[in-house]
Amino acid sequence: MDTVTILQFLAAPIVASLIIAGIHAYLGLHVVERGVIFVDLSLAQIASLGAAIAVFRGYDPHDPALYWMSLGFTLIGAFVFAMIKGHEADIPQEAIIGISYAVASAAVIIVMSQSTGEAEHLKDMLVGNILSVQWPEVWLTAAIYVAIGLFHFVFRKRFLEISIDTKAAAARGVPVRFWDFLFYSSFGFVVTRSVAIAGVLLVFCYLIVPSVGAMLWAKRIGPRLAIGWVMGVLVSMLGMYFSVVFDLPTGATIVCTFGGVLVVMALLRPLVRRRRA
Amino acid sequence: MKLTRTLLTAAAAAMLASPALAAPLKVVTTTEDLASLAREVGGDKIEVIALAKGYQDPHQVDPKPSFILAVSRADVLIVVGRELEIGWLPALQASSRNAKIQVGGPGYLDASMTVKILEIPTGQLTRAMGDVHPQGNPHYWLDPNNGRKMAQAIRDKLSELDRANAATYASRYADFDKRLAAAEQRWDAALAPFKGTKIVTYHRSWPNFMERWGLNVMGYVEPKPGIPAPPQHIIDLITDMKAQKVKVIIVEPYWDLKTPNAIAAQTGGKVLVLAPSVGGTKEATDYISLFDYDVNTLVTALKGV
Repeated sequence: MDTVTILQFLAAPIVASLIIAGIHAYLGLHVVERGVIFVDLSLAQIASLGAAIAVFRGYDPHDPALYWMSLGFTLIGAFVFAMIKGHEADIPQEAIIGISYAVASAAVIIVMSQSTGEAEHLKDMLVGNILSVQWPEVWLTAAIYVAIGLFHFVFRKRFLEISIDTKAAAARGVPVRFWDFLFYSSFGFVVTRSVAIAGVLLVFCYLIVPSVGAMLWAKRIGPRLAIGWVMGVLVSMLGMYFSVVFDLPTGATIVCTFGGVLVVMALLRPLVRRRRA
Repeated sequence: MKLTRTLLTAAAAAMLASPALAAPLKVVTTTEDLASLAREVGGDKIEVIALAKGYQDPHQVDPKPSFILAVSRADVLIVVGRELEIGWLPALQASSRNAKIQVGGPGYLDASMTVKILEIPTGQLTRAMGDVHPQGNPHYWLDPNNGRKMAQAIRDKLSELDRANAATYASRYADFDKRLAAAEQRWDAALAPFKGTKIVTYHRSWPNFMERWGLNVMGYVEPKPGIPAPPQHIIDLITDMKAQKVKVIIVEPYWDLKTPNAIAAQTGGKVLVLAPSVGGTKEATDYISLFDYDVNTLVTALKGV
């Protein structure tokens, strides 16, 4: 009964985690396919830099200007990532993403050291806590993700072809850089919001773990997406449940549940594969 | 886990003890200092749950599911205020859907309303002023006279919500007041020889403590917590400490000791971890023993240098 009562109060966090699971399991397939695993961390950090600069310029941490500033920075980051890919130089894209992450993180520290006391609170605001999410935030996020989801659904063929086989797409005359930019900016849009709600660690797991789990069990994109979604939803609920039963911080518990479930899926892999053969 | 069990027991007790009037008031406090003061005043007429533990930084608390449950069932929510809990409490209050304990509700008590607050900025706030808390320094409970005023505010709030036990709250407060006054004489005597001594603290958590006993804070290790101080700041601090023969650096248990230790090594000083809250060290089990611990530790260190 105790657990049920708490779950009642957790309705908003649960719905939020399901929404996040929905869009990230899909975006995660692209990210893993492109081999840009840490792009979300990097874009989230670039978004933080935008917010930190807004606070430094004297905006209140609750001012909408903060959000627009971080979105602007995310778009710049998206532009950079899209352009670099076109060069096909010998430098792995992951290296550029890592460098952007490090430099953006350090720049946030420098900017915060130069601004007033309010900047201390910025850290908490950029790294959300899923337990504290409120209904208005949940609905706004749902609306944004549905819009972006529709956009991706309409152009799903384009997005898939540039993620899976860039060269072939380019050979066919697809403006790859343009579509890459669209991909990274819509992705940045989603990640900036998700991180504000759920925190960096949790968002990373929602993005990467379901698609890795799906890769263990399936080859084609359709089944992978289905497995990713089911896994994202189940792990959210299970993690929430553990967090309530053992009274542990919710976000961290879901992250560890993701890890545990992935190990179980890997152990069960031979069974799944044999049945399919 | 333990908290869940406590809550279950509390819920069961509440059910057994109906009619509702006889049930003890459910008090939730954000810190263990407030919980200790509430226990002094409320005794067995109330049930107290503290959210943040004394060894945690009360600016940054990772809320757990049981927090929402506790807040949703609370008759009274006592907060430190002055934006100390701004990072985590408002969302918890909203999630609890408990009208009583919302800001301005009958069960909401901001303990800072009657106490002496230091470092309230005056005039226009500008960035040039550096690290500023617009509502003053929130670490005000570290002056026992503020603790007395907080206990009074708690007594008044409990009496207002539970008139039947007002006499008990009044007499329990009077008893606490007497014990606190005796302890204050003890602390005043112990620290009197060190009036005017200069010390360094990690962050601005101790102004009330230092003002109460006439100690001088001549500098801070990290003016902004979590952001490493620029090298020039550390060099200046070391130079000043050497010139003014400052030997003691006070650090809260949740900060990293590396920088303070390095500075102490350079200046031949001592790093002292004092408890900023009840539960911050195992000796500080209630409000009075918190000061016993901090005063004794500080006096021992000051005698040694």
